[in-house]
Amino acid sequence: MGFWNKLLKIDRRWIYTIIWLVVMIPLLFPFKIKPMAMPPVTRLFNYIDTMPEDKALVISVDYTPDIQPELHPMCIALLHHAFATKRKVGLLTLQVMGLGLGEAAIRQVTEEFNAHATTHEDSIINGEDYVYWGWTTPIITILLGMGERITNVYPVDYYGHRTESLPIMKHLKNYDDIGIVVSIAGSSIPISWVNFANTQFGVPIGCGATAVSAADYYPYLNSGQFTGMMAGMKGAAEYEQLVADKFDELGIKWELRRKGTEAMSSQTAAHIAIMIFIIIGNIAYFVIRRRKK
Amino acid sequence: MKRRLPLMIVLVLGIFGAVAFVIPHPIVKSIDETMRNDVLRIITAFSLVLGVGSIIQHHLIKIRRKAEHWPFSYIALISLAVSAAIGLFGGIDPASPGILPTHIGGFSFHMQALYDNIMIPLASTMFALLAFFMASAAYRAFRARNLEATLLLIAAFILMLGAVPLGRMLIRPLPDFAEWILTVPNTAAKRGIMFGIGLGSIATSLKIILGIERGWLGGGG
Repeated sequence: MGFWNKLLKIDRRWIYTIIWLVVMIPLLFPFKIKPMAMPPVTRLFNYIDTMPEDKALVISVDYTPDIQPELHPMCIALLHHAFATKRKVGLLTLQVMGLGLGEAAIRQVTEEFNAHATTHEDSIINGEDYVYWGWTTPIITILLGMGERITNVYPVDYYGHRTESLPIMKHLKNYDDIGIVVSIAGSSIPISWVNFANTQFGVPIGCGATAVSAADYYPYLNSGQFTGMMAGMKGAAEYEQLVADKFDELGIKWELRRKGTEAMSSQTAAHIAIMIFIIIGNIAYFVIRRRKK
Repeated sequence: MKRRLPLMIVLVLGIFGAVAFVIPHPIVKSIDETMRNDVLRIITAFSLVLGVGSIIQHHLIKIRRKAEHWPFSYIALISLAVSAAIGLFGGIDPASPGILPTHIGGFSFHMQALYDNIMIPLASTMFALLAFFMASAAYRAFRARNLEATLLLIAAFILMLGAVPLGRMLIRPLPDFAEWILTVPNTAAKRGIMFGIGLGSIATSLKIILGIERGWLGGGG
Protein backbone atom coordinates (compact mmCIF):
# COMPACT_ATOMS: atom_id res chain seq x y z
CA MET A 1 0.00 0.00 0.00
CA GLY A 2 1.47 3.34 -1.12
CA PHE A 3 1.77 6.50 0.96
CA TRP A 4 -1.38 8.11 -0.49
CA ASN A 5 -3.42 4.97 0.01
CA LYS A 6 -2.30 4.79 3.60
CA LEU A 7 -3.17 8.43 4.03
CA LEU A 8 -6.69 7.88 2.69
CA LYS A 9 -7.24 4.90 4.97
CA ILE A 10 -5.86 6.59 8.06
CA ASP A 11 -7.49 5.52 11.33
CA ARG A 12 -10.34 7.94 12.00
CA ARG A 13 -9.22 8.26 15.61
CA TRP A 14 -6.30 10.38 14.37
CA ILE A 15 -8.76 12.74 12.71
CA TYR A 16 -10.82 12.89 15.91
CA THR A 17 -7.69 13.65 17.95
CA ILE A 18 -6.61 16.46 15.62
CA ILE A 19 -10.11 17.99 15.68
CA TRP A 20 -10.21 17.74 19.47
CA LEU A 21 -6.88 19.55 19.70
CA VAL A 22 -7.76 22.30 17.21
CA VAL A 23 -11.02 22.95 19.06
CA MET A 24 -9.65 22.75 22.60
CA ILE A 25 -6.37 24.67 22.32
CA PRO A 26 -7.90 27.91 20.96
CA LEU A 27 -10.69 27.62 23.53
CA LEU A 28 -8.10 27.60 26.30
CA PHE A 29 -5.80 30.14 24.64
CA PRO A 30 -8.00 32.27 22.34
CA PHE A 31 -6.33 34.64 19.91
CA LYS A 32 -7.47 38.23 19.60
CA ILE A 33 -10.23 38.77 17.07
CA LYS A 34 -12.17 41.89 16.19
CA PRO A 35 -15.24 40.84 14.20
CA MET A 36 -16.57 43.18 11.52
CA ALA A 37 -20.35 43.18 11.31
CA MET A 38 -21.92 42.12 8.02
CA PRO A 39 -25.04 43.93 6.70
CA PRO A 40 -27.68 41.49 8.12
CA VAL A 41 -26.28 41.89 11.65
CA THR A 42 -25.84 45.65 11.32
CA ARG A 43 -29.43 46.03 10.10
CA LEU A 44 -30.76 44.14 13.13
CA PHE A 45 -28.59 46.10 15.55
CA ASN A 46 -29.50 49.47 14.02
CA TYR A 47 -33.20 48.66 14.04
CA ILE A 48 -33.19 47.79 17.75
CA ASP A 49 -30.95 50.74 18.50
CA THR A 50 -33.21 53.28 16.81
CA MET A 51 -36.71 51.86 17.36
CA PRO A 52 -39.09 54.07 19.36
CA GLU A 53 -38.33 54.04 23.09
CA ASP A 54 -41.85 53.00 24.07
CA LYS A 55 -41.60 49.81 21.99
CA ALA A 56 -40.37 46.60 23.56
CA LEU A 57 -37.90 44.05 22.30
CA VAL A 58 -39.26 40.52 22.41
CA ILE A 59 -36.79 37.66 22.33
CA SER A 60 -38.13 34.25 21.44
CA VAL A 61 -35.69 31.73 22.93
CA ASP A 62 -36.48 28.99 20.43
CA TYR A 63 -33.23 27.04 20.71
CA THR A 64 -32.31 23.97 22.69
CA PRO A 65 -29.24 23.07 24.81
CA ASP A 66 -27.52 21.18 21.98
CA ILE A 67 -27.07 24.35 19.91
CA GLN A 68 -26.62 26.61 22.91
CA PRO A 69 -22.92 27.43 22.29
CA GLU A 70 -23.80 28.97 18.92
CA LEU A 71 -27.05 30.73 19.82
CA HIS A 72 -26.91 31.59 23.52
CA PRO A 73 -24.34 34.40 22.98
CA MET A 74 -26.86 36.02 20.61
CA CYS A 75 -29.51 36.07 23.33
CA ILE A 76 -27.03 37.49 25.86
CA ALA A 77 -25.85 40.17 23.40
CA LEU A 78 -29.44 41.19 22.61
CA LEU A 79 -30.23 41.51 26.32
CA HIS A 80 -27.08 43.58 26.90
CA HIS A 81 -28.08 45.85 24.03
CA ALA A 82 -31.68 46.20 25.19
CA PHE A 83 -30.90 46.96 28.83
CA ALA A 84 -28.02 49.31 27.99
CA THR A 85 -30.38 51.35 25.80
CA LYS A 86 -33.22 51.11 28.40
CA ARG A 87 -35.58 49.05 26.27
CA LYS A 88 -38.31 46.96 27.84
CA VAL A 89 -37.83 43.27 27.15
CA GLY A 90 -40.26 40.38 26.84
CA LEU A 91 -38.90 36.85 26.74
CA LEU A 92 -40.69 33.71 25.72
CA THR A 93 -39.91 30.34 24.27
CA LEU A 94 -41.74 28.22 21.74
CA GLN A 95 -39.46 25.26 22.54
CA VAL A 96 -40.05 23.69 25.93
CA MET A 97 -36.34 22.78 26.07
CA GLY A 98 -35.48 26.45 25.74
CA LEU A 99 -37.17 27.37 29.03
CA GLY A 100 -34.09 26.95 31.20
CA LEU A 101 -31.88 28.73 28.65
CA GLY A 102 -34.12 31.79 28.67
CA GLU A 103 -34.05 31.80 32.46
CA ALA A 104 -30.26 31.42 32.54
CA ALA A 105 -29.80 34.26 30.03
CA ILE A 106 -32.04 36.75 31.80
CA ARG A 107 -30.59 35.82 35.21
CA GLN A 108 -27.00 36.31 33.99
CA VAL A 109 -27.61 39.67 32.32
CA THR A 110 -29.76 41.14 35.11
CA GLU A 111 -27.14 40.10 37.68
CA GLU A 112 -24.43 41.82 35.61
CA PHE A 113 -26.40 45.06 35.29
CA ASN A 114 -27.61 45.03 38.90
CA ALA A 115 -24.07 44.43 40.19
CA HIS A 116 -23.07 47.75 38.61
CA ALA A 117 -26.31 49.63 39.36
CA THR A 118 -26.17 52.48 41.83
CA THR A 119 -29.78 53.68 41.62
CA HIS A 120 -33.19 52.05 41.19
CA GLU A 121 -33.27 53.48 37.66
CA ASP A 122 -30.06 51.66 36.75
CA SER A 123 -31.37 48.36 38.09
CA ILE A 124 -33.11 45.80 35.95
CA ILE A 125 -36.26 44.68 37.73
CA ASN A 126 -38.41 41.67 36.90
CA GLY A 127 -41.92 42.79 36.01
CA GLU A 128 -40.84 46.39 35.45
CA ASP A 129 -38.01 46.25 32.92
CA TYR A 130 -38.54 42.75 31.64
CA VAL A 131 -41.00 39.90 31.73
CA TYR A 132 -40.32 36.23 31.10
CA TRP A 133 -43.55 34.70 29.83
CA GLY A 134 -42.08 31.21 29.61
CA TRP A 135 -43.57 28.49 27.46
CA THR A 136 -47.02 27.55 26.34
CA THR A 137 -48.44 25.69 23.41
CA PRO A 138 -49.56 25.39 20.62
CA ILE A 139 -47.49 27.78 18.51
CA ILE A 140 -50.34 29.14 16.39
CA THR A 141 -52.29 30.13 19.52
CA ILE A 142 -49.32 32.13 20.78
CA LEU A 143 -48.35 33.80 17.52
CA LEU A 144 -51.88 34.90 16.67
CA GLY A 145 -53.02 35.43 20.26
CA MET A 146 -50.19 37.87 21.02
CA GLY A 147 -51.59 40.12 18.33
CA GLU A 148 -54.81 40.44 20.33
CA ARG A 149 -53.79 40.41 24.00
CA ILE A 150 -50.58 38.98 25.45
CA THR A 151 -52.04 38.46 28.94
CA ASN A 152 -54.68 36.13 27.44
CA VAL A 153 -51.95 33.96 25.96
CA TYR A 154 -49.78 34.10 29.09
CA PRO A 155 -52.06 34.57 32.14
CA VAL A 156 -49.05 33.85 34.40
CA ASP A 157 -45.34 34.40 33.76
CA TYR A 158 -42.56 31.82 34.14
CA TYR A 159 -42.25 32.57 37.85
CA GLY A 160 -45.99 32.18 38.48
CA HIS A 161 -46.87 35.91 38.75
CA ARG A 162 -50.18 37.05 37.26
CA THR A 163 -49.12 38.95 34.12
CA GLU A 164 -52.04 41.39 34.50
CA SER A 165 -50.46 42.55 37.77
CA LEU A 166 -47.01 43.28 36.30
CA PRO A 167 -46.27 47.00 35.68
CA ILE A 168 -44.51 46.26 32.38
CA MET A 169 -47.67 44.67 30.97
CA LYS A 170 -49.58 47.95 31.26
CA HIS A 171 -47.60 49.16 28.25
CA LEU A 172 -47.16 45.80 26.58
CA LYS A 173 -50.59 44.72 25.45
CA ASN A 174 -50.07 43.21 22.02
CA TYR A 175 -47.88 43.46 18.90
CA ASP A 176 -48.65 47.20 18.64
CA ASP A 177 -46.37 47.72 21.65
CA ILE A 178 -43.58 45.51 20.34
CA GLY A 179 -40.80 47.07 18.27
CA ILE A 180 -39.37 43.80 17.04
CA VAL A 181 -39.48 40.09 17.82
CA VAL A 182 -36.13 38.32 17.50
CA SER A 183 -36.52 34.57 17.21
CA ILE A 184 -33.31 32.68 17.98
CA ALA A 185 -33.65 29.13 16.75
CA GLY A 186 -32.04 26.12 15.16
CA SER A 187 -35.34 25.04 13.64
CA SER A 188 -37.86 26.70 11.32
CA ILE A 189 -39.66 28.59 14.12
CA PRO A 190 -38.53 32.03 12.83
CA ILE A 191 -40.49 31.29 9.65
CA SER A 192 -43.62 30.72 11.77
CA TRP A 193 -43.04 34.16 13.28
CA VAL A 194 -42.91 35.59 9.75
CA ASN A 195 -46.01 33.66 8.61
CA PHE A 196 -48.23 34.68 11.50
CA ALA A 197 -46.83 37.68 13.38
CA ASN A 198 -45.24 39.58 10.50
CA THR A 199 -47.71 38.79 7.71
CA GLN A 200 -50.86 39.17 9.81
CA PHE A 201 -49.89 41.94 12.24
CA GLY A 202 -46.92 43.62 10.56
CA VAL A 203 -44.60 43.24 13.54
CA PRO A 204 -40.93 43.30 12.43
CA ILE A 205 -39.08 40.02 12.91
CA GLY A 206 -35.38 39.47 13.43
CA CYS A 207 -33.67 36.13 13.45
CA GLY A 208 -30.76 34.37 15.08
CA ALA A 209 -29.91 31.10 13.37
CA THR A 210 -27.29 28.39 13.42
CA ALA A 211 -24.77 28.74 10.60
CA VAL A 212 -26.04 25.54 9.01
CA SER A 213 -29.66 26.75 8.82
CA ALA A 214 -28.92 30.39 7.95
CA ALA A 215 -28.96 29.68 4.22
CA ASP A 216 -32.67 28.81 4.52
CA TYR A 217 -33.48 32.29 5.80
CA TYR A 218 -31.83 34.45 3.14
CA PRO A 219 -35.01 34.60 0.98
CA TYR A 220 -36.84 36.12 3.98
CA LEU A 221 -33.97 38.50 4.63
CA ASN A 222 -33.91 39.68 1.02
CA SER A 223 -37.66 40.20 0.93
CA GLY A 224 -37.51 42.33 4.10
CA GLN A 225 -39.63 39.88 6.10
CA PHE A 226 -36.64 39.55 8.39
CA THR A 227 -35.37 42.92 9.50
CA GLY A 228 -31.94 41.45 10.16
CA MET A 229 -30.23 38.22 11.03
CA MET A 230 -27.37 36.83 13.08
CA ALA A 231 -26.00 33.71 11.45
CA GLY A 232 -24.02 31.26 13.54
CA MET A 233 -21.19 31.99 15.94
CA LYS A 234 -19.90 34.64 13.54
CA GLY A 235 -23.22 36.51 13.72
CA ALA A 236 -23.14 36.34 17.52
CA ALA A 237 -19.56 37.65 17.61
CA GLU A 238 -20.43 40.51 15.24
CA TYR A 239 -23.41 41.52 17.38
CA GLU A 240 -21.24 41.34 20.51
CA GLN A 241 -18.77 43.70 18.85
CA LEU A 242 -21.53 46.18 18.00
CA VAL A 243 -22.80 46.00 21.59
CA ALA A 244 -19.28 46.54 22.95
CA ASP A 245 -18.96 49.63 20.73
CA LYS A 246 -22.35 50.81 22.02
CA PHE A 247 -21.19 50.36 25.62
CA ASP A 248 -18.16 52.55 24.82
CA GLU A 249 -20.43 55.15 23.23
CA LEU A 250 -22.73 55.17 26.31
CA GLY A 251 -19.74 55.37 28.67
CA ILE A 252 -20.49 52.00 30.30
CA LYS A 253 -17.15 51.01 31.70
CA TRP A 254 -17.58 47.41 32.85
CA GLU A 255 -16.16 44.63 30.73
CA LEU A 256 -18.50 42.25 28.91
CA ARG A 257 -17.80 38.53 28.68
CA ARG A 258 -18.08 37.84 24.94
CA LYS A 259 -18.47 34.10 24.57
CA GLY A 260 -19.30 34.24 20.86
CA THR A 261 -16.11 36.15 20.08
CA GLU A 262 -14.03 33.87 22.32
CA ALA A 263 -15.32 30.79 20.53
CA MET A 264 -14.48 32.27 17.12
CA SER A 265 -10.81 31.28 17.64
CA SER A 266 -11.85 27.69 18.01
CA GLN A 267 -14.19 27.85 15.04
CA THR A 268 -11.47 29.42 12.88
CA ALA A 269 -9.02 26.65 13.76
CA ALA A 270 -11.65 23.93 13.19
CA HIS A 271 -12.63 25.36 9.78
CA ILE A 272 -9.02 25.51 8.67
CA ALA A 273 -8.36 21.96 9.91
CA ILE A 274 -11.39 20.64 7.99
CA MET A 275 -10.27 22.52 4.86
CA ILE A 276 -6.81 20.99 5.15
CA PHE A 277 -8.39 17.55 5.56
CA ILE A 278 -10.43 18.09 2.40
CA ILE A 279 -7.38 19.29 0.44
CA ILE A 280 -5.25 16.31 1.57
CA GLY A 281 -8.12 13.92 0.86
CA ASN A 282 -8.54 15.32 -2.65
CA ILE A 283 -4.80 15.27 -3.44
CA ALA A 284 -4.66 11.63 -2.36
CA TYR A 285 -7.77 10.84 -4.41
CA PHE A 286 -6.36 12.41 -7.59
CA VAL A 287 -2.90 10.86 -7.21
CA ILE A 288 -4.41 7.37 -6.77
CA ARG A 289 -6.82 7.90 -9.69
CA ARG A 290 -3.96 8.99 -11.94
CA ARG A 291 -1.89 5.95 -11.00
CA LYS A 292 -4.81 3.64 -11.72
CA LYS A 293 -5.18 5.18 -15.20
CA MET B 1 -69.80 6.67 11.38
CA LYS B 2 -66.46 5.80 13.00
CA ARG B 3 -64.69 7.16 9.92
CA ARG B 4 -67.27 9.65 8.69
CA LEU B 5 -67.35 11.73 11.89
CA PRO B 6 -63.60 12.54 11.96
CA LEU B 7 -63.73 13.29 8.24
CA MET B 8 -66.65 15.68 8.76
CA ILE B 9 -64.86 17.44 11.66
CA VAL B 10 -61.73 17.89 9.52
CA LEU B 11 -63.76 19.17 6.56
CA VAL B 12 -65.71 21.75 8.59
CA LEU B 13 -62.84 22.91 10.79
CA GLY B 14 -60.32 22.86 7.95
CA ILE B 15 -62.47 25.11 5.77
CA PHE B 16 -63.37 27.34 8.72
CA GLY B 17 -59.71 27.68 9.78
CA ALA B 18 -58.74 28.87 6.30
CA VAL B 19 -61.79 31.09 5.74
CA ALA B 20 -61.52 32.79 9.16
CA PHE B 21 -58.24 34.39 8.05
CA VAL B 22 -60.00 36.40 5.34
CA ILE B 23 -63.37 37.20 6.98
CA PRO B 24 -62.95 39.98 9.57
CA HIS B 25 -66.59 39.68 10.84
CA PRO B 26 -66.74 39.83 14.69
CA ILE B 27 -68.66 36.54 15.01
CA VAL B 28 -66.18 34.67 12.80
CA LYS B 29 -63.26 36.26 14.67
CA SER B 30 -64.78 35.35 18.04
CA ILE B 31 -65.31 31.68 17.05
CA ASP B 32 -61.80 31.59 15.57
CA GLU B 33 -60.32 32.95 18.82
CA THR B 34 -62.20 30.38 20.89
CA MET B 35 -61.03 27.60 18.61
CA ARG B 36 -57.42 28.75 18.82
CA ASN B 37 -57.20 29.80 22.45
CA ASP B 38 -59.37 27.14 24.09
CA VAL B 39 -60.16 24.18 21.85
CA LEU B 40 -56.68 23.87 20.35
CA ARG B 41 -55.07 24.11 23.80
CA ILE B 42 -57.32 21.41 25.22
CA ILE B 43 -56.49 19.11 22.30
CA THR B 44 -52.77 19.84 22.79
CA ALA B 45 -53.05 19.04 26.51
CA PHE B 46 -54.61 15.70 25.60
CA SER B 47 -51.76 14.99 23.20
CA LEU B 48 -49.32 15.61 26.06
CA VAL B 49 -51.14 13.06 28.22
CA LEU B 50 -51.13 10.68 25.26
CA GLY B 51 -47.37 11.23 24.78
CA VAL B 52 -46.52 10.57 28.44
CA GLY B 53 -48.83 7.56 28.50
CA SER B 54 -47.27 6.20 25.35
CA ILE B 55 -43.68 6.50 26.60
CA ILE B 56 -44.57 4.85 29.93
CA GLN B 57 -46.35 2.01 28.14
CA HIS B 58 -43.44 1.54 25.72
CA HIS B 59 -40.88 1.20 28.50
CA LEU B 60 -43.08 -0.99 30.70
CA ILE B 61 -43.52 -3.42 27.80
CA LYS B 62 -39.74 -3.41 27.24
CA ILE B 63 -39.13 -4.21 30.91
CA ARG B 64 -41.80 -6.93 30.99
CA ARG B 65 -40.42 -8.62 27.88
CA LYS B 66 -36.81 -8.06 28.90
CA ALA B 67 -36.18 -6.61 25.43
CA GLU B 68 -32.74 -5.45 24.34
CA HIS B 69 -31.27 -2.79 26.71
CA TRP B 70 -34.30 -3.12 29.01
CA PRO B 71 -32.45 -1.87 32.13
CA PHE B 72 -32.23 1.55 30.45
CA SER B 73 -36.02 1.66 30.46
CA TYR B 74 -35.89 1.80 34.26
CA ILE B 75 -33.61 4.85 33.99
CA ALA B 76 -36.01 6.51 31.52
CA LEU B 77 -39.04 5.89 33.75
CA ILE B 78 -37.30 6.97 36.95
CA SER B 79 -35.95 10.13 35.23
CA LEU B 80 -39.45 10.91 33.96
CA ALA B 81 -41.02 10.48 37.39
CA VAL B 82 -38.32 12.41 39.29
CA SER B 83 -38.15 15.37 36.87
CA ALA B 84 -41.95 15.55 36.69
CA ALA B 85 -42.22 15.55 40.50
CA ILE B 86 -39.54 18.24 40.85
CA GLY B 87 -41.05 20.27 38.00
CA LEU B 88 -44.54 20.10 39.45
CA PHE B 89 -43.77 20.51 43.16
CA GLY B 90 -40.13 21.58 43.56
CA GLY B 91 -40.20 25.10 42.15
CA ILE B 92 -37.89 26.61 39.57
CA ASP B 93 -34.89 27.69 41.63
CA PRO B 94 -34.10 28.75 45.24
CA ALA B 95 -35.70 32.14 44.53
CA SER B 96 -39.01 30.52 43.56
CA PRO B 97 -39.27 27.40 45.76
CA GLY B 98 -42.11 24.90 45.63
CA ILE B 99 -43.64 22.68 48.30
CA LEU B 100 -41.08 19.91 47.75
CA PRO B 101 -37.68 20.44 49.42
CA THR B 102 -35.05 20.57 46.65
CA HIS B 103 -31.80 20.86 48.54
CA ILE B 104 -29.82 18.79 51.00
CA GLY B 105 -27.27 21.02 52.68
CA GLY B 106 -25.41 22.79 49.88
CA PHE B 107 -26.59 20.27 47.26
CA SER B 108 -29.47 21.60 45.17
CA PHE B 109 -31.63 19.67 42.77
CA HIS B 110 -34.34 22.15 41.79
CA MET B 111 -35.55 22.30 38.18
CA GLN B 112 -33.00 24.84 36.97
CA ALA B 113 -30.15 22.88 38.65
CA LEU B 114 -31.27 19.68 36.90
CA TYR B 115 -31.46 21.57 33.63
CA ASP B 116 -28.07 23.31 33.99
CA ASN B 117 -26.18 20.25 35.24
CA ILE B 118 -27.78 17.36 33.38
CA MET B 119 -29.78 18.52 30.36
CA ILE B 120 -27.33 21.09 28.98
CA PRO B 121 -24.15 18.95 29.25
CA LEU B 122 -25.89 15.86 27.83
CA ALA B 123 -27.44 17.67 24.85
CA SER B 124 -24.25 19.68 24.15
CA THR B 125 -22.10 16.55 24.26
CA MET B 126 -24.33 14.72 21.80
CA PHE B 127 -24.28 17.63 19.37
CA ALA B 128 -20.55 18.28 19.79
CA LEU B 129 -19.83 14.78 18.48
CA LEU B 130 -21.00 16.06 15.11
CA ALA B 131 -17.74 18.03 14.69
CA PHE B 132 -15.74 14.80 14.76
CA PHE B 133 -18.02 12.97 12.34
CA MET B 134 -18.12 15.94 9.99
CA ALA B 135 -14.34 16.25 9.89
CA SER B 136 -13.94 12.53 9.26
CA ALA B 137 -16.66 12.51 6.56
CA ALA B 138 -15.17 15.60 4.87
CA TYR B 139 -11.76 13.90 4.73
CA ARG B 140 -13.11 10.63 3.32
CA ALA B 141 -15.98 11.67 1.07
CA PHE B 142 -15.75 15.32 -0.05
CA ARG B 143 -14.15 14.82 -3.48
CA ALA B 144 -14.01 16.94 -6.62
CA ARG B 145 -15.17 13.98 -8.74
CA ASN B 146 -17.03 16.04 -11.37
CA LEU B 147 -17.95 19.64 -12.21
CA GLU B 148 -20.92 19.82 -9.79
CA ALA B 149 -18.90 18.39 -6.91
CA THR B 150 -16.05 20.82 -7.69
CA LEU B 151 -18.42 23.79 -7.65
CA LEU B 152 -19.84 22.59 -4.33
CA LEU B 153 -16.33 22.23 -2.95
CA ILE B 154 -15.31 25.74 -4.04
CA ALA B 155 -18.51 27.25 -2.59
CA ALA B 156 -17.94 25.38 0.67
CA PHE B 157 -14.36 26.68 0.89
CA ILE B 158 -15.46 30.27 0.29
CA LEU B 159 -18.25 30.03 2.89
CA MET B 160 -16.06 28.32 5.47
CA LEU B 161 -13.30 30.89 5.08
CA GLY B 162 -15.84 33.71 4.88
CA ALA B 163 -17.35 32.60 8.20
CA VAL B 164 -14.12 33.17 10.14
CA PRO B 165 -12.09 36.38 10.63
CA LEU B 166 -9.08 34.77 8.95
CA GLY B 167 -10.94 34.93 5.63
CA ARG B 168 -10.94 38.74 5.67
CA MET B 169 -7.29 38.77 6.74
CA LEU B 170 -6.28 36.56 3.79
CA ILE B 171 -8.52 38.05 1.08
CA ARG B 172 -10.30 41.26 2.09
CA PRO B 173 -13.48 40.91 -0.03
CA LEU B 174 -13.94 37.21 0.78
CA PRO B 175 -16.66 37.59 3.49
CA ASP B 176 -18.59 39.91 1.15
CA PHE B 177 -18.32 37.35 -1.63
CA ALA B 178 -19.52 34.63 0.78
CA GLU B 179 -22.45 36.87 1.67
CA TRP B 180 -23.19 37.35 -2.06
CA ILE B 181 -23.29 33.57 -2.57
CA LEU B 182 -25.86 33.30 0.20
CA THR B 183 -27.85 36.32 -0.91
CA VAL B 184 -28.06 35.70 -4.66
CA PRO B 185 -27.50 32.12 -5.94
CA ASN B 186 -28.60 30.50 -2.66
CA THR B 187 -31.75 32.63 -2.45
CA ALA B 188 -32.65 31.93 -6.07
CA ALA B 189 -32.44 28.18 -5.50
CA LYS B 190 -34.21 28.35 -2.14
CA ARG B 191 -37.11 30.37 -3.55
CA GLY B 192 -37.71 27.76 -6.24
CA ILE B 193 -37.70 25.00 -3.62
CA MET B 194 -39.99 27.02 -1.32
CA PHE B 195 -42.55 27.59 -4.08
CA GLY B 196 -42.59 23.85 -4.69
CA ILE B 197 -42.98 23.08 -0.98
CA GLY B 198 -45.75 25.70 -0.66
CA LEU B 199 -47.76 24.32 -3.56
CA GLY B 200 -47.22 20.77 -2.30
CA SER B 201 -48.42 21.73 1.20
CA ILE B 202 -51.58 23.34 -0.20
CA ALA B 203 -52.33 20.29 -2.32
CA THR B 204 -51.76 17.90 0.61
CA SER B 205 -53.86 20.04 2.97
CA LEU B 206 -56.71 20.16 0.47
CA LYS B 207 -56.55 16.39 0.03
CA ILE B 208 -56.79 15.91 3.82
CA ILE B 209 -59.62 18.47 4.23
CA LEU B 210 -61.62 16.97 1.38
CA GLY B 211 -61.09 13.44 2.67
CA ILE B 212 -59.08 12.23 -0.34
CA GLU B 213 -56.00 11.56 1.80
CA ARG B 214 -57.06 9.44 4.80
CA GLY B 215 -53.73 8.09 6.05
CA TRP B 216 -54.07 10.11 9.28
CA LEU B 217 -57.14 8.03 10.23
CA GLY B 218 -54.87 5.01 10.65
CA GLY B 219 -55.48 1.50 9.39
CA GLY B 220 -53.95 2.19 6.00
CA GLY B 221 -56.79 4.60 5.05
